Amino acid sequence: MNANRRDFIKMAGFASASWALPKAVSAATTAPHVLVIGGGFGGATVAKYLKLWGGNIDVTLIDRDASHYACILSNLVVTGALPMSRIQLGYTNLQTKRGVNFAQGEALSVDPMAKEVTVKIGSDYFAYSYDKLVLAPGIEFINPAGNYNASLTPHAWKAGPQTLLLKNQLSAMTKGQTFVMTIPKSPYRCPPGPYERACSVADYLKRKKSGAKIIVLDANASIQAEPVNFGNAFSKTYKGVLTYIPNAAVVSVDSSAKSIVTSQGTFKSAVLNVIPNQRAGQIVTNAGLVNDPTGKWALVNPLSYASTLYPDIHILGDSQGTGQPKSGHMANSQAKVCANAIIRAFNGEAPDPSPVTSSACFSPITATTAAWLTASFQYDPTTKAMKRVEASFAEAPQPTSDGMQQMFHWADNIFADSFG
Amino acid sequence: MTTMKSHHPISTTLRPTLAVGAALAATGLMAAPPPGQLLSSMCSQCHGTNGLAVSGFESISGKSATEMYKTLLEMSQRRPENIMDLQARAYTPEQLRLIANYLATLPPAGSETLNK
Repeated sequence: MNANRRDFIKMAGFASASWALPKAVSAATTAPHVLVIGGGFGGATVAKYLKLWGGNIDVTLIDRDASHYACILSNLVVTGALPMSRIQLGYTNLQTKRGVNFAQGEALSVDPMAKEVTVKIGSDYFAYSYDKLVLAPGIEFINPAGNYNASLTPHAWKAGPQTLLLKNQLSAMTKGQTFVMTIPKSPYRCPPGPYERACSVADYLKRKKSGAKIIVLDANASIQAEPVNFGNAFSKTYKGVLTYIPNAAVVSVDSSAKSIVTSQGTFKSAVLNVIPNQRAGQIVTNAGLVNDPTGKWALVNPLSYASTLYPDIHILGDSQGTGQPKSGHMANSQAKVCANAIIRAFNGEAPDPSPVTSSACFSPITATTAAWLTASFQYDPTTKAMKRVEASFAEAPQPTSDGMQQMFHWADNIFADSFG
Repeated sequence: MTTMKSHHPISTTLRPTLAVGAALAATGLMAAPPPGQLLSSMCSQCHGTNGLAVSGFESISGKSATEMYKTLLEMSQRRPENIMDLQARAYTPEQLRLIANYLATLPPAGSETLNK
């Protein structure tokens, strides 16, 4: 058990605390402590499953916000089809039903030698010690050059206030106007997501702002996920409403003027939805854990999600660089592999040698139909990497209304599996 | 342990653990993960934690292991038409067997007073 008796860190501006650490309590508990940073699908799931499977493990989950807003279904909030409350996921069940300790705060830095994380809660700073640390902070954006301001040109690629911002801009459009969106260079959070957004917006404009148009500027050479379903949607369903331009690298953005310079031309529009290129969440960078060849993601052992640099620090979800797709469903899968590995490690055992991870995603194509995508991965001991099982990889034959219903069932179940 | 929790209790689980887990916890060890537990947790995003779906899809816990294995194997072998046929293809037959055996040990839908 970690018997660290260091005082909490005093930082500039920090008022001295009026309470001291209760030593009696720290001596009494013998459970190992896992600290989880980031309460999205990855972090919430690992916190829950450590408690569910592990029994006597103390788990603390830290998130910047009081509740998590899911990106899953968020495009339907952007179009006004669903309320924000539909995607709001609180931390109450994790605490009361699963026994996870939760604190709302921002993790600022990691000391891997002392095994402590500095967390800012309100205006105070605390040192949280850990036996194992899991970082699941999601993505950070690589802001484009120019006068870029996400408050003026929202990405809505982290759900919450950004979702409402984009929703309000979309609903204020008039029929002659244009919605321009950019799709970041792969890899990015949620391969089908930007194409789903394009469809949701195109459908909305077609039904509610007849005459308005959408231009999709894709930094990639072609559609990155569900090329048949999205390809058909773009070329047939939304012909005349949507223009798809691949190989459009963003050069600069002027958020005030709502204009964007790309390798495929300059565009100015009523709504400019720039989804910037992405990298690992900030705390992962701050901790010195970004070490993949692109300098954006953290390399980990896919059997446990332990960092290749520090065996007691695990990184899962969007931030890690195993090459698996970045999605909430995948983060949930990785979290379970990680929880299992941590429990085994506490028992002095090696991780499961043959984990499987699965990703599935349902996307609305029109107001009444949805398509899906699925891919699963097996561990390849030769390459020490997760390898996609090609037989398991496919998109839906076509969008259907059954698919739409399944989408909502999937959302309800994954919300509950991760946060309930 | 110096976790500073000015407004959270330091105590660990707030719910009673399973008898086995509690006994092992008393010795300081955690229960070793049962075979099939990790594999079948990949089903939970759609079929619910511990195989108890909250919406729409079937619950998959507490059913006959033989029948479950037969169904999964069939799905993995027939011409893929829906997402389950593709999901089943992710696993070897041995893994499908482990999944079916483990799910069979979990409380079926309707007995949710257990493991809550």
